[in-house]
Amino acid sequence: MGRKTGFIISKILELLATLLVVSLLTFVAFSVIPGDTAQVILGPDASQAQLDALRSELGLDKPLIVQYLNWIAGLFTFNLGKSAAFGVPVSDLIAERLPVTIGMSIIALIFVIAVSYPLSVLSARRPGKVLDQVFSVTGHILFAIPPFVLSLISIIAASALFSGFRAGQYFSPDENFPGFIGCLILPSFCIALPKIAMTFKYMRSSIIEQNASEYVKNAKGHGLTDMRILMKHVLPNSNVSAITVISIVLSDILAGSLIVEQVFNLPGMGRLLLSGIARRDFPLLSGMVFYIAFITVLLYFAADVLGSIADPRIRLK
Amino acid sequence: MRHFSKTITAAILLASMAFGFASCTASNASSGKVTVGITQEPGTFDPHTVVAAGDQEIIFNIYEGLMKYDSKGNLNPCLAKEYKINDSADEYTFTIRDKVKFHNGQDLTAADVVYSLQRAAGLLPGSDGTALIASFDKIKTVEVSNDDPNKVVVTLEQPDSELLSYFTVGIIPKDYENSDKSPCGTGPFKFESYSVSQNVTLSANKDYWGNKPQIDKVVFKICADMDAGLLELKSGTIDIFPHLTKDRADQLSPDAYNIMDNASNMVQIFALNNKAAPLDNPKVREAINYAISRDDIINVTMDGAGVALTTAMSPAMGKWYDKSLDGTYKKDLDKAKSLLAEAGYADGFDLKVTVPSSYLVHVNTAVELGSELSAIGIKLKIEQVDWATWLDEVYSKRNYESTVICLTSDYAPYDVLQRYSTDSKDNFINYSNAEVDELLKKIPLTPGEEDKLSLYHQILKIMTEDNASCYIQDPQEIVPVSTKLEGYNVYPMYVQDMSTVKFK
Repeated sequence: MGRKTGFIISKILELLATLLVVSLLTFVAFSVIPGDTAQVILGPDASQAQLDALRSELGLDKPLIVQYLNWIAGLFTFNLGKSAAFGVPVSDLIAERLPVTIGMSIIALIFVIAVSYPLSVLSARRPGKVLDQVFSVTGHILFAIPPFVLSLISIIAASALFSGFRAGQYFSPDENFPGFIGCLILPSFCIALPKIAMTFKYMRSSIIEQNASEYVKNAKGHGLTDMRILMKHVLPNSNVSAITVISIVLSDILAGSLIVEQVFNLPGMGRLLLSGIARRDFPLLSGMVFYIAFITVLLYFAADVLGSIADPRIRLK
Repeated sequence: MRHFSKTITAAILLASMAFGFASCTASNASSGKVTVGITQEPGTFDPHTVVAAGDQEIIFNIYEGLMKYDSKGNLNPCLAKEYKINDSADEYTFTIRDKVKFHNGQDLTAADVVYSLQRAAGLLPGSDGTALIASFDKIKTVEVSNDDPNKVVVTLEQPDSELLSYFTVGIIPKDYENSDKSPCGTGPFKFESYSVSQNVTLSANKDYWGNKPQIDKVVFKICADMDAGLLELKSGTIDIFPHLTKDRADQLSPDAYNIMDNASNMVQIFALNNKAAPLDNPKVREAINYAISRDDIINVTMDGAGVALTTAMSPAMGKWYDKSLDGTYKKDLDKAKSLLAEAGYADGFDLKVTVPSSYLVHVNTAVELGSELSAIGIKLKIEQVDWATWLDEVYSKRNYESTVICLTSDYAPYDVLQRYSTDSKDNFINYSNAEVDELLKKIPLTPGEEDKLSLYHQILKIMTEDNASCYIQDPQEIVPVSTKLEGYNVYPMYVQDMSTVKFK
């Protein structure tokens, strides 16, 4: 019991330290790049009076370090601050974008698991044979193509193949939920493909390794069916490594969605992040970076905990 | 039996026709919505603090001023029925139009006009006195006339005969404080909603005093960039897309879109920092002007959709432009080389050009300039920076050698040229000529149009003699408009006037 609490506390401390470092890095990066929010909002023709008025309205007349400390102080009251460029709370902006990014991540994850598991089992049955070779080579090729290139190719392909396909179309989930899911499928698929290849590769070698182990031979000797061995013994043992891979895949999916949604013109987190950078919107940017870091760290944290459930030895290490 | 099946077929046919007809009318009823693609995020909807051209083209539909431009660039009375400028040009009198309602139902009164102009001029009690509209800093008082409660009199500290075009600034209800987020004006369209990075929605103002709009809704849809917009055009989710490039417009089906164009009254400048060596030498600047072929650049960067410029003003400005300057620079490499030699740079030199990466046209222009200038030994090094960096380093701090950018201005000659006075904040090319400064001061004090014209022409001549910079083109404004629509006009300025648009 004590060991378990200690494990969780040390993980939480890790989480906090990571978040602090991330926010510090954002702050340092932000303080060295040139540019000024008020100027970007108002453009080149703004008068000095207009610029000054907007700067004091947005609190930009204070030094950046003061803005940063205020922002940190806000965190303790769970307040991510107000976007300088848009004048609305950062958390509202993020909440508005979340459905797209989360939706894409979930659909992509479903693709990854639904495709990579059966394929790796099939492949691992007869390693080195034709089917395995075809899967592995295809996997390597897919693994090497960045999601945004896949996106461009798939938009062209989909436009040519399906007359009903509309590039850049988007429905908000409140208006048309099936439409919303529909416009996320292709981008999710583009994010998922390389990740399918990655998960496949890990799962395949893990299953092969298990298949070669003594206990499987032993089980075979006892006359258990292949199916039973696979479902009861091999897959559960492979899951330990799968959980680690999938937590990496999930954070990759998140990062991938930030880029892919640009190509598909979807109003998700990536687009918001870019407009935050383009407008030198410090509160928005640090709020978003913090949020994304938080989710990423949380995913790893969850993977650790899940892993420790799947394999009790992890806690002891 | 056969007969029976025929009857059924006929019935089905009839039914499907009726159904098709029904769905047709249904789509017509909901087709009062026009979607306009834009690529910039709105900053504010406040008509007095708005600066960005992208914001102005939207709020043109929401607000109206005492004066208003039409699609030809003429300035007409709008919320003012008529106006008078006194002979010494220091008193403007406007008669307010009656039976005009704000979007919140309030009637327009002289008090609203006084409040709005005072707010824009920084004259409201409690304001720190700085004018929100810079040209309004010379306004002394704005008052309702003593003789007529329907007249508003604006008096100036010093005469200015060039102020009229600034009275296009939006009029808002007295004491209305929510203009930046929830604008309220008198224009043909009402503000409905704004969703960050997604869209701005306007709906028709049923109580509009002028010709009522013929569509129910306008959605300004924010696209990530021009290519995302192009994809949406191809799939038909956008009806109108302003500021498209010609090569992209050429990809659209003529059945789906009519391509409209007009001079944009923008000035694309290869800006030469007059204080950065060796560009501080007028001979070097002259050599650059003679070394390039503007037509070639226009062909490469705009597929020919541009008008070559030799001076700081576009011919789109009509009479204010000096036609005698047409074709001042014919590409002449020998002349350019000898000018460089005279300046002491016979072997050329390295020149850095800092361009905003988000503007592909300017980046491409810089590349083309590089290949043209290499013929006289000038090696152009292209540095791409993002827009915020460009604004800060190049425009504000003037910490650059050369750049390529488009200068926009109101459709007013003074607005085009005032940036070139030595102490102007916008004089980012560091041009300085005492004679030009004098002439610029003289123009607002000059009442007669003929006299003004000669002053403007003098300025343009001097700037050309000084080779203030290298002016390239007035890029054409290209707008694909859905063939379902008619009545759209391309203005020679940043305006998307939706009040005349309708379905065929």
